[in-house]
Amino acid sequence: MTEEKKPEERKKRRTATEAAGRVGSMTKAMLANVPQAKGEGRPIAYSFICCCYDEIIRAMDITPHWVENYAGICGAKRDAQRFLERAEAENLSRSLCTYALCGLGFDAWREELGGEMPPDAPWGGQVKPDVMLGSGQMLCDPRNKWFQAAQHYMPDVPTYDLNLPWPPYEEDYDYREVQDDYVKYMVAQLRGLVEFLERHTNRKMDWDRLSELVDLTDRTWNLVHEAYELRRAVPTPMGTGDAMNTMVPLSFMMGTQQGYDFFKELYDELQQKIARKEGVIPDEKYRLLWGGGLPSWFALTDFNYFNSKGAVFPAETTYRMVEALYNFDIDFARITDPLEHIAWRWLKFWTCRYDKTRQRPGSHPDVERLIDYIEDYQIDGVVMHEAFSCRSWHVGLIWQLNLLKKIYRDIPSLVLESDIIDISSYNEADTRARIDAFIDTLEAVKSRAG
Amino acid sequence: MTEYFAGVDIGSTMTKVVIMADAVVARVVGASGPEHRRLANRVMESALADAGLGFSDIAYVVATGYGRINVPFADRQITEISCHARGVASLVPAARTVIDIGGQDCKGIKLKDGRAVDFVMNDKCAAGTGRFLEVIAEALGLSLEEMGELSLQSQHDIEISNTCTVFAEQEVVAKLAEGVAVADLAVGVHKAIATRIHGMVRRLKVEREVVVTGGGALNTGLVRALETKLGLPLLVSPEPLLSGAIGAALLGKDTVRDAAEKGIPVTRSRQPLKEATFFS
Repeated sequence: MTEEKKPEERKKRRTATEAAGRVGSMTKAMLANVPQAKGEGRPIAYSFICCCYDEIIRAMDITPHWVENYAGICGAKRDAQRFLERAEAENLSRSLCTYALCGLGFDAWREELGGEMPPDAPWGGQVKPDVMLGSGQMLCDPRNKWFQAAQHYMPDVPTYDLNLPWPPYEEDYDYREVQDDYVKYMVAQLRGLVEFLERHTNRKMDWDRLSELVDLTDRTWNLVHEAYELRRAVPTPMGTGDAMNTMVPLSFMMGTQQGYDFFKELYDELQQKIARKEGVIPDEKYRLLWGGGLPSWFALTDFNYFNSKGAVFPAETTYRMVEALYNFDIDFARITDPLEHIAWRWLKFWTCRYDKTRQRPGSHPDVERLIDYIEDYQIDGVVMHEAFSCRSWHVGLIWQLNLLKKIYRDIPSLVLESDIIDISSYNEADTRARIDAFIDTLEAVKSRAG
Repeated sequence: MTEYFAGVDIGSTMTKVVIMADAVVARVVGASGPEHRRLANRVMESALADAGLGFSDIAYVVATGYGRINVPFADRQITEISCHARGVASLVPAARTVIDIGGQDCKGIKLKDGRAVDFVMNDKCAAGTGRFLEVIAEALGLSLEEMGELSLQSQHDIEISNTCTVFAEQEVVAKLAEGVAVADLAVGVHKAIATRIHGMVRRLKVEREVVVTGGGALNTGLVRALETKLGLPLLVSPEPLLSGAIGAALLGKDTVRDAAEKGIPVTRSRQPLKEATFFS
């Protein structure tokens, strides 16, 4: 039976930094904290990353269970298939987001078992929440519908759907003309979330605590930015493989002292490695940009395979959802309302390359970001991953690549094709044959350049 | 003294070996099949016999194709992208784009100065590959060659709407039952494959001259359909089945020449001509 299937044992991926090596145990502890909190009567919220509510739920002592993270863990442990198949048995289309399918399959199964975890659930499983906090912001459309679908199995769990839009880029107008309206709208959304949480969890917002956490998050953003900027060094001390570990504190521990401390340690470690000229690999030949797409969580050892060919990834766009706040054209010190502060931070993150983009006719902010990283990190080639089930993040990747080549330069590129957690879409031999061929083209281009 | 170089291309369907000096002196093509681990050395032995050479006469052996790791006697493994690029560039020096229609994948390669600088591959789906043609030809009761020739006699435009090989086969069988002419169906199939290939290679910004290689290049009907789709005349490689193996041999020759120019020794595998095992 499908339920009896055991996950395939997987060779552990090598990390370049000690900090990234610690993330596995941090993640395990983070997950273990959820059933413990539930046992102690603290409310649990099913949560998504990058929804601007990190500080809000932490200020109200609500424990997040990060559903995307849990699906990723199932994928990394090569144990997602049985949950995907369970969702498919519920007649949910296999072409939907496989994170959502994994989570919904898990919830359907757990509720069918009367609240018991499915057998051998990875890392303890996901407990039934008290609230579910969806998001309708433009990053990812399934996050509107996932929790509404989850209510089929948990009709007694209320959901709040947050909407966090930002002004779209247009070449011929300045977004600042409308930015105040966007912020006003987002603040109303966030205030609605606070009211929802107070109503459904019997917790009161501690506004002073919220302000402290907003400040902590600001400092963490700056620290992450500065730590990642150290990766410009040649040889680079940290690659994207490690960044797929450090995305855990970046995405799931924002607004916590633990998250801040992690990046302080990472910053210090990277500085030490640079002083020792210690790179990800001893002989760095090709510097690559992970230019878009979520990784195949079950195939992170592909990053080691790139390394074995002399290729490193000093930078990636994926999960780098922070910028240096001191570079934004806004004085955050003048904003006293923490919700308004959160809204401005969000808006400025998404619009921070608009002015630069307008300087290059025909360009787009997403492409300007690629160009920034190519230049700042001395990049030789761009690798993207098209995950078939993730439409929102992956639609437009090829368009970005084509535009990059048109308005900037004809940089070598590789597009990998698979999925985030559905291993049935992956073929290691074919993937590595593509990587081999890409390395050949990088070599050919370098040779031509002399 | 003449130096000889061997290229071994183990594809998903066919295993190809060429032995070259200044030109090809021997060529052997055999079916890969499930026993291709054992086949490489046999095909190599056959090629050596044709050339009247012993294995020790070969200065360098390069293996390529999906089975390249199963050639223990090869001195080096090089990807099929690089080998096809080198092979086609030597056969058609004006080539700027290569479309390789293989048994179970399809590749587009962009060339500059005879080397691959960009590529795209379809290895996820049989549609757009030789396998799709084989399945449909079987359903029509034709050989691949017959299907190519027959399609040129078509009188009507037929669309095969399914891109999945299995469902396309069902669709073809259903249309046969409706009385659609086999020649028209063959055209429909070629158009369907050409559409898939076009969708893939257009990412490369196809530039003339465009050379088609691989087993699919032997199908005249498919090449015509692809020309129509691309809106460009296509050149068929003079050695469609051997482009990769020739490129492999030439890259071996380049390796030996570069080493001599730099005054460094050539690293060789020193493995005897034997079949691969799981432990080799």
